[in-house]
Amino acid sequence: MAASSMKDIKRRIKSVQSTMQITKAMELVASSKLRRAKEKAEETRPFFDTLYAVMSEIAEGTKGFTSRFTTPREVKSVGYIVVGGERGLAGGYNSNVFKLSDAHMKGKDAKVIAIGKKACEYYRKSSHPVVLEYSGVGEHIDVPESYAIAQAILKLYDQGEFDELYISYTNFINTLTQEPAIIKVLPVNLEPSGQPAGPGVLTIYEPSPEEVFDAIVPEYVAGILHGAVVESFASEQAARRTAMETASDNAQELVNDLDLKYNRARQAAITQEITEIVAGAGAL
Amino acid sequence: MATFHLQIVTPNRMFFNGEAEKLVVRTAEGDIGVLHGHTHMVAPLGIGPMEVYLPGEKPRLAAIANGFVKVGPESCTLVAITCEWAEEIDVDRAQRAKAAAEETLKAAQGEREQDVAELKLKRALNRISVSGR
Repeated sequence: MAASSMKDIKRRIKSVQSTMQITKAMELVASSKLRRAKEKAEETRPFFDTLYAVMSEIAEGTKGFTSRFTTPREVKSVGYIVVGGERGLAGGYNSNVFKLSDAHMKGKDAKVIAIGKKACEYYRKSSHPVVLEYSGVGEHIDVPESYAIAQAILKLYDQGEFDELYISYTNFINTLTQEPAIIKVLPVNLEPSGQPAGPGVLTIYEPSPEEVFDAIVPEYVAGILHGAVVESFASEQAARRTAMETASDNAQELVNDLDLKYNRARQAAITQEITEIVAGAGAL
Repeated sequence: MATFHLQIVTPNRMFFNGEAEKLVVRTAEGDIGVLHGHTHMVAPLGIGPMEVYLPGEKPRLAAIANGFVKVGPESCTLVAITCEWAEEIDVDRAQRAKAAAEETLKAAQGEREQDVAELKLKRALNRISVSGR
């Protein structure tokens, strides 16, 4: 009896240990990727912030003209760019951003632009149609690529595929905290924020406001998209690292428990053997 | 000479952040010069050279492509998609990009393909000319 339970425990220890090896390796890979992704996110952030700030300033100081990117249309369907991860095993990273997006999409005729393999897989199964799919872009996304994606999305917007555009992604706050967020991309909100622009603040648009907006908005969308993908990728790595660290810790705990059990079983077997020998000797 | 605050950002980094006396940059409509006290203006950028005049220093030259510039009396913000100082430009890479773009231009079928290749060629030529100055 004792021998077979010892064997079972031994086998379980082995299996837990091999799992631990995997989680440990994934943790290491994620932390090294995280370091690079974090740097990239920090380098991109000033661009992202400035872009957003400048765009709002421009929007605030501008009245009395129309551009196809600033005029609200009657909203029939809404486009969502959802930035998900490439792989699973990243704790709640993927499900958090999907949950937030789903709540936002509820009751709307939503069309999805999925970025990341997990987002593609998730939305293929959902009731919302997927209009564009991009996978494998997160890690090495560069500016021309963001540009190309933004162009494709704007083309759909121009064709009237959707009348509003949101992007949902994960904000990288620090290595322990990542927050999913949704921001509105189109139409660019030109509602004045209440304070009238002072007299004399008259902005010149070269060559004309319409043309300026037509040229700037695609760049704005590309910039926002680029920032969101970079932030999300850093978040994915951070989430995976934390998840794998916890998994490794749990596995270590389990191994310790099993080791204890194994030693107990071994001792019990020895004790039993001694008792048997003593009893046998007594019988002689 | 009066200075203004100049901020240049690109997706990869904060390219420049400080005081400048004068900025000459290629917009979609042609070169513009920015000095202190310029009126509010917004313009998209083209592909071309950019000169930054810093107080008490030699002017610095850079190659820019796409983005936009927002000018005010005290400040100027330039959001560029690509931007490189002349001395940072990898001429070999630009030459290779130029050759590749010319190649695609010859073989290009669709109008769209041709446009893309043409823009690539323009950017490569711009970088070569800026680095040569």
